[in-house]
Amino acid sequence: MELEKRLVILAESAKYDVSCASSGSKRYNRDGIGNAASCGICHSWTSDGRCVSLLKVLLTNACIYDCAYCVNRRSNDVPRASLTPEEVAELTIGFYRRNYIEGLFLSTGVVHGPDQTMELLIRAARLLRETHRFNGYIHLKLVPGADPLLVEQAGRFADRVSVNIELPTRESLKLLAPDKSREAIIGPMRTASGLITRSREERKVSRKAPLFAPAGQSTQLIVGATPESDLQIIRLAEGFYNRLGMKRVYYSAFIPVAGGNRLPALPVPPLVREHRLYQADWLLRYYGFAAHEVLDDGRPDLDLAVDPKCGWALRHLDLFPVEVNRADYEVLLRVPGIGVRSAKRIVRARRQQRLSFDDLAKLGVVLKRARYFLTARGKRLDDLDMNEAVLRSRLMAPATTKKARQLSLFDGAGGDELASVLTGEL
Amino acid sequence: MTCYLYDGTFEGVLTVLALVREAGEEPNSIGTTAPAQAGLFAAIVRVETNEEVAERLLDEIGRRLSPATAAHLYHAFLSETEGVEMHLHRYLRLGWREGRRLDSLLSHESVLPVHQLARRVRHEAHRMKGFVRFRKVREGFYYAALEPDHRVLSLMAPHFADRFFDQHWVIHDVRRNLAIVHAARREGWEEVSLELTGAPVMSEREEWFQSLWRRYFDRLAIAARHNPRLQQSKVPLKYRRHLVEF
Repeated sequence: MELEKRLVILAESAKYDVSCASSGSKRYNRDGIGNAASCGICHSWTSDGRCVSLLKVLLTNACIYDCAYCVNRRSNDVPRASLTPEEVAELTIGFYRRNYIEGLFLSTGVVHGPDQTMELLIRAARLLRETHRFNGYIHLKLVPGADPLLVEQAGRFADRVSVNIELPTRESLKLLAPDKSREAIIGPMRTASGLITRSREERKVSRKAPLFAPAGQSTQLIVGATPESDLQIIRLAEGFYNRLGMKRVYYSAFIPVAGGNRLPALPVPPLVREHRLYQADWLLRYYGFAAHEVLDDGRPDLDLAVDPKCGWALRHLDLFPVEVNRADYEVLLRVPGIGVRSAKRIVRARRQQRLSFDDLAKLGVVLKRARYFLTARGKRLDDLDMNEAVLRSRLMAPATTKKARQLSLFDGAGGDELASVLTGEL
Repeated sequence: MTCYLYDGTFEGVLTVLALVREAGEEPNSIGTTAPAQAGLFAAIVRVETNEEVAERLLDEIGRRLSPATAAHLYHAFLSETEGVEMHLHRYLRLGWREGRRLDSLLSHESVLPVHQLARRVRHEAHRMKGFVRFRKVREGFYYAALEPDHRVLSLMAPHFADRFFDQHWVIHDVRRNLAIVHAARREGWEEVSLELTGAPVMSEREEWFQSLWRRYFDRLAIAARHNPRLQQSKVPLKYRRHLVEF
């Protein structure tokens, strides 16, 4: 088959992997081609609003596994194709030289068993690094069940490695992905996590110590295909961040990619739920929240009507309003509508002058939600009662038809945040 | 009342700012052309750019205010917005009074406009690092055309000079007839004026790569997530002309 046709088939098969981040790694060009910018760079955006940063492609979409949620499962009737590691390397260089991409995100179906598959991925990465002297970004998938020595090799060439947890619980995995065991997934994750930590330590001692996945590892799970609560998902993510030093957990709203009786029939993908999970994830990583603050057994699912920080604030109205000129940075971060950038700006500006609401607006702080939770120079902006029902109705998006809300969710401030999540800019 | 004219370069505006500071008198305007209504009694002063004066001023800004202040001045200048020079003047005037705390006065009316313009320029420069699309031309170098709102080429150059060190390349701001040029395996780059006399002729494999990229790109969107408005906010229509995939 011609290369063009194969590439199209393999792109189609790779696009459900959400990660596109090209950030977190800093490589300089050492007499070859390419470098990695630590902030990451997006090169384009597709009509679903997702960014294109890496050439995201599979080595092959043929697969011996039959995971119910996956477009490439054995029993699915789709055209199959493959690329050789040499072809992948050449395509990457061709696209990179034209500045279409930041690098490569290479994944694959499993053809002969985990180790042989892993070896092919490594070969492509090695070709790029050694033959083409490529210093751009490489994200390699780790194959569940792959030998620890191969995981180690993969991380020597890659900036980021990932193995997808796929589903939040062992039971769901067993039901939908009977060929993959939880252990086979967690194994390479642990190996990578250990090696990342070790490499960081070694590099503190000597700059010459070899790199291992300097942009860390990530994982992805599917939301809405199985009955787990948001609490279970957020706790899992918290464990990944705290215990495995994971860089990112990606959440992918379940989109039926051809039915099957093991799967629920969802009329529309749970995109709002996915969005709320990303917001909750942000609270864990950047806002100093713990999973148990966001959700608990009495309330195991995220509120779809308001964002999780608003939800938390509404349950803790006794803590508000806070005075913008005095509240600690950590407290400001917990004010709905105030993000990391705004909180930093406030802290910097108030050292020089006492801030009013006018000043806040000039600093670019969005007051749409924050106004209800702040005082500035002792004054509030409105006279509203600090009453949950009243505030809640103010904070909720204006009631519209269900369909319209699904779309409008992505506009405005929330939309940008979502976009950052997807683009991995942060 | 004085209207200062300069040659449109950053060194030029710095020379004016140094002069204004010395004169100790509030200027009427600073620009590249005389204002239409200069007023009957306004003096028009054409300032000859003096690189030494400019460098000395920048150096003093870096030392007495902060290197960040110098960067804000330069970035805001690159915005090429109408009246930016007077914003720079007011910002700097406040700076001599406030010293190192200048850039913490975030909501001050003399600081805010400069910060905002500078941020806008840096944002576009970052965006453009992604939106450059090189085409390999028959002569063997890589050529990219851009039409940025602001004069961002010089901010993009170091990134590309490192990344494509082994590649001959030209990035061309077709609106301003400016280009940055890098020769393979040579340190650095040069900013030159450049006007195309005809469309560049592509090399043989170029078409193939472009069509491959387009076909790849077209398959990436997930239909169930269709959201063209989000796409448009990320890739505004004004930039699409030079993007291969649109």
